[in-house]
Amino acid sequence: MKIKEDGATKWFRLIAYVVVLVGSVLCLLPFLLIVSASLTSNEEIVRDGYNLIPSQFTLDAYKVVFMFPEDLLRAYGVTTLVTIVGTAVGLLLMTMAGYVLQRKDFKYRNFFSFVIYFTTLFGGGLVPYYMLITNYLKFSNTLYALIWPSLMTPFLIILMRSFINSAVPDEVVESAKIDGANDFVIYYRVVLPLAVPGLATVGLFLALHYWNDWFHSALFINDTAKYQLQFYLYNIINTSNFLNSIGAGAGIVLSGPVPSESMKMAMAVVVTGPILLLYPFIQRYFVKGLTIGAVKG
Amino acid sequence: MLGKQKKTLNLVLSLVLALTLLAACSSNNGTKNTPSPTPASSNETGGNSEGDNSATSGIDTSERVELQFYMLGNAPKDLAKVENQVNEWLKEDLPNTTVKFNYTTWTDTDQKYRLLLSTGQDVDLIFTAEWMQYQQYAKNGAFLPLDELLPKASPKLYEFVPKDMWDAVKIDGNIYTVPATYKEYVTGGFVWREDLRVKYDLPKPVDIATFEAYLEGIKANEPTIQPAAFGQDLGATLEDAYLDFQRHRVGAMPYGLHAAYEEPANIVGYWGSEEHLADLKVYKNWADKGYFSKNELNETEGNQDKIINGTTAAMLSDNPTRYNSILNQMKALHPDWDLAYHPFGLTNGYATPVHPIHNGFAIPKNSKNAERALAFYELMVTNERYNLLTQYGFEGVNYEVENGYYKMIGDNTTNGFVRENMNGWAWRNPEFMLFEPSYDGVEAIFNELDKIQVPDIYTGFAEDYTSYQAERAALEQVEKQYLFPLMAGLVEDVEGGLKTFMEKANQAGLEKIQESYKQQWLQYLQESGYN
Repeated sequence: MKIKEDGATKWFRLIAYVVVLVGSVLCLLPFLLIVSASLTSNEEIVRDGYNLIPSQFTLDAYKVVFMFPEDLLRAYGVTTLVTIVGTAVGLLLMTMAGYVLQRKDFKYRNFFSFVIYFTTLFGGGLVPYYMLITNYLKFSNTLYALIWPSLMTPFLIILMRSFINSAVPDEVVESAKIDGANDFVIYYRVVLPLAVPGLATVGLFLALHYWNDWFHSALFINDTAKYQLQFYLYNIINTSNFLNSIGAGAGIVLSGPVPSESMKMAMAVVVTGPILLLYPFIQRYFVKGLTIGAVKG
Repeated sequence: MLGKQKKTLNLVLSLVLALTLLAACSSNNGTKNTPSPTPASSNETGGNSEGDNSATSGIDTSERVELQFYMLGNAPKDLAKVENQVNEWLKEDLPNTTVKFNYTTWTDTDQKYRLLLSTGQDVDLIFTAEWMQYQQYAKNGAFLPLDELLPKASPKLYEFVPKDMWDAVKIDGNIYTVPATYKEYVTGGFVWREDLRVKYDLPKPVDIATFEAYLEGIKANEPTIQPAAFGQDLGATLEDAYLDFQRHRVGAMPYGLHAAYEEPANIVGYWGSEEHLADLKVYKNWADKGYFSKNELNETEGNQDKIINGTTAAMLSDNPTRYNSILNQMKALHPDWDLAYHPFGLTNGYATPVHPIHNGFAIPKNSKNAERALAFYELMVTNERYNLLTQYGFEGVNYEVENGYYKMIGDNTTNGFVRENMNGWAWRNPEFMLFEPSYDGVEAIFNELDKIQVPDIYTGFAEDYTSYQAERAALEQVEKQYLFPLMAGLVEDVEGGLKTFMEKANQAGLEKIQESYKQQWLQYLQESGYN
């Protein structure tokens, strides 16, 4: 038996569809613009500005980008490595932290949660942070500087904690204990399988963070071979910005190649591609995990 | 009851956290603008130097040392090859020493530079320039005084740089940086599209009246071309340039202060004065006539690029070297276009070569290898093979010499080390320098300016703004908010707008800043004998 819809619902649906459709088109447009600009010849961009449909279709920009792909590929390698290692280790550490923090028999769990949460509100600022990484941990110019700082992200730990709290009933843990499982076995055999949507959410957050990170490269890395992908791209754009902003009094003329507009766009496409592919696989968990983790608290 | 409260609390907490996450997405951009400690406060940490070890005479090379060499900008593609070669040579020239060349990139350069100097990093040699605030860093003790080290560790270099240059870079009586000896001019001059001028028979811009006439002609004949480009930074590209030319300003003085080159001791408040009002009216007139865009403050494209692409026809001011570079880039794309240049100096009758502190290398206070660093830097400057290699790359691979001119092998994208790819502005040695044929144009301008050269009075001045740091930051905001729109011609009532700006500026503490600056400036003039 079908429930009959009244007019208002139909209208609501129609409007909702239109709004969502327009919204998603608006979200897609900028990206389409980048793609089409990367396929346009540079002279045309300079002369007529950006167009959605290139009148002079050319692959020149991609040819230049891939003429000497070593730098780009190396940056790709660094980012991929950092993302995989960082996400794997980060997930391990954060699920463990989240699990422990929600165990009722951990007496000081609220105190420790507070300490972790506190750091999101009050940070030391850039200089102490820089000194910690370079002077005390001696991480400058190593991949540790790229991976280490994000391994224990307070927000994700707390997200994980509340997620495990809601997804894993105490009774399950208790019964596992009665069956003779120790804490690690419980964590590994009981908690982790139940927390898969949470893992996917936190994992995607973390992976995205690592993939999009450029700031740590900018601060801590001098060796061009260890630049992250985003920094590699960002720095190219910054170089042309710098050239525009520097006053005539500095008298600087840089001799290196300055990338053309279409080249910048081509690089942006090359850089964003892979992470886009990741979404469809995780999206299912992502939505589930987000709602459970956030609303149920 | 309690459980429910807790749940609500949890919910609120998660919401707050979600918000912080959203905020975090944009925070990356924000870091650039967060106020970070100034050199003044930060150097206290690096102050306890280890430079005292240098009391031993001669250079002791018994210990193995890797020098950390820091330069601004992006590393050349072939840096590793050059570094290996340099280290190979160093085995015989400077035993037990290797060098590592580090580059800061152009991303957040100021911040990185400050962090490097203020947090006690391992840096042995670092680039200095007045546009990287050499004077302030030196005054606050970021660098090691070199007076005694120089004759001992690098006698050749000490000889090589003329005495008056060493004197000119002194801050509070001490040498903190090794200046570059290459003489150039980064003074201003009109830049305009010569082919359009000829086509429409317009006057040659040599002063403001002819410049205006030229812009008017372009406006009338080429409606699609914006007559002049200034870009976002109107303070520098419009006000500083205009004052430099029209009122013979001694240098780009901050805080609306003004002193003419002819009588530097007569330092007056320019903002709010009759002259300021008159000048603002000139800019307003330009904006009204459409000489520059209504949107100039939001312009993201560089002025130089706009000239090269042909979307704009002129600039009020640029330096000879950059003019030449624009000309060449433009010629490469549009062979039938032409660009011309008129240095302000030719109209005003004087020109100042760059001050020696424009390019230099200093040794940070934290360096443990000051002597070795100087000895190495001496090789970079005075030794031909080191100098040529680090400026131009490998002869035969990266470049060749043709009729005495530099010639690149391949092009920008295939060559791993283009001319001056290491940004070696500071260790240029005029005796070894190689130029591209296009440099002849610059040299011709320099030669003309040489005839009317006078010393730069302004750049050697080291302002100490510790006492009015807060006011300074406030004033900067006020300037951006109230003065820039005035300059861009966006305020209809110029007089009223200026009054508002002055009111806000005085509230921000303009008078206090000006008083203190004036005092320091006069004292500097007295000490340096320019008075």
